[in-house]
Amino acid sequence: MLPLSLLKTAQGHPMLVELKNGETYNGHLVNCDTWMNIHLREVICTSKDGDRFWRMPECYIRGNTIKYLRVPDEVIDKVQEETVKRSDRKPTIGGRGRGRGRAEDGVGRGRGGEGGRGGRGYQEDGAAGGRGGARGSGGARGGGRSGGGRGGASRGRSQ
Amino acid sequence: MWGLCVGKSGRKETVLDLAKFVDRGVSVKLSGGRQVTGTLKGYDQLLNLVLDEATENLRDSDDPLKTTDQMRQLGLIVCRGTAVMLVAPTDGTEEIANPFLANETPAAT
Amino acid sequence: MATDTGLESLIDQTISVITNDGRNIVGVLKGFDQATNLILDESHERVYSTKAGVEQVVLGLHIIRGDNIGVVGELDEELDSNLDLSALRAHPLKAVQH
Repeated sequence: MLPLSLLKTAQGHPMLVELKNGETYNGHLVNCDTWMNIHLREVICTSKDGDRFWRMPECYIRGNTIKYLRVPDEVIDKVQEETVKRSDRKPTIGGRGRGRGRAEDGVGRGRGGEGGRGGRGYQEDGAAGGRGGARGSGGARGGGRSGGGRGGASRGRSQ
Repeated sequence: MWGLCVGKSGRKETVLDLAKFVDRGVSVKLSGGRQVTGTLKGYDQLLNLVLDEATENLRDSDDPLKTTDQMRQLGLIVCRGTAVMLVAPTDGTEEIANPFLANETPAAT
Repeated sequence: MATDTGLESLIDQTISVITNDGRNIVGVLKGFDQATNLILDESHERVYSTKAGVEQVVLGLHIIRGDNIGVVGELDEELDSNLDLSALRAHPLKAVQH
């Protein structure tokens, strides 16, 4: 599990953030990004010594000033749910990709489709896509959209 | 740096939309311990900020990490983005008495 | 794939972390990333003192930023449970000098 996924999941939850300068911020996480920059709402700031306190409606903290974040224990269980969901989604994306290859099959007339399916391996794809390209522009266009097929198209040209 | 972040992650939005703070008072903490407040006149994606009528919260001469209530006028300034640690609106920000029963709080509950 | 920092083998194990500000935090490693940001679950801080035994402060679920990490170590739970922390006296660590 990635620390930033946990942080992302903690959106909307209360948390404590300690900065490198020792100040702490208690607030609800509104948003965060891949740099750990965070946006908190309903914040209470505590000075390093813990002797002064400020209330602020919201604040933005640059990620690289953070020392650590304390998040509610239950958040970790929610992340696990989300990662499961994401790994569920992955095969569907792959499946969709293959499906698209076959769809191009129809557009590209016959063999061009092999270029689409070849998306699994670049070499294979290139060779098949190249052939597709040489045969018909429809196949070349189809290969182009499947990513690796772009190499195939250029090969087609060099042939 | 910010641009890279946007490019790499594919995320278009920065965490905080500073547009809503334009022409409003903001308090900015800078790395190194300085703290300034002023009216936000402009900003960019690198978090460089333009503050008008800025004042710096002067710090304790013994402990430069502590701010005091003394201020000094700076006028119109640019805060370098890389040095900006924290941005908060001054509106609604106030010093309060200890809101926690003990100093160390089980905050994340 | 890109996680050959050696921390992979410590996932779900109890680890001990020394932070740059000289704290010792013990917890279960739930995750990490390229920047050595760590997720520590059920964590607690061990506060060392020369006057009293080791005080354990419960911290719970923590994300520690990689910038702030000095050392990450595996904790031998059997050895550790044999420690009498209340009898242990030690100087607290100083913070890292930058």
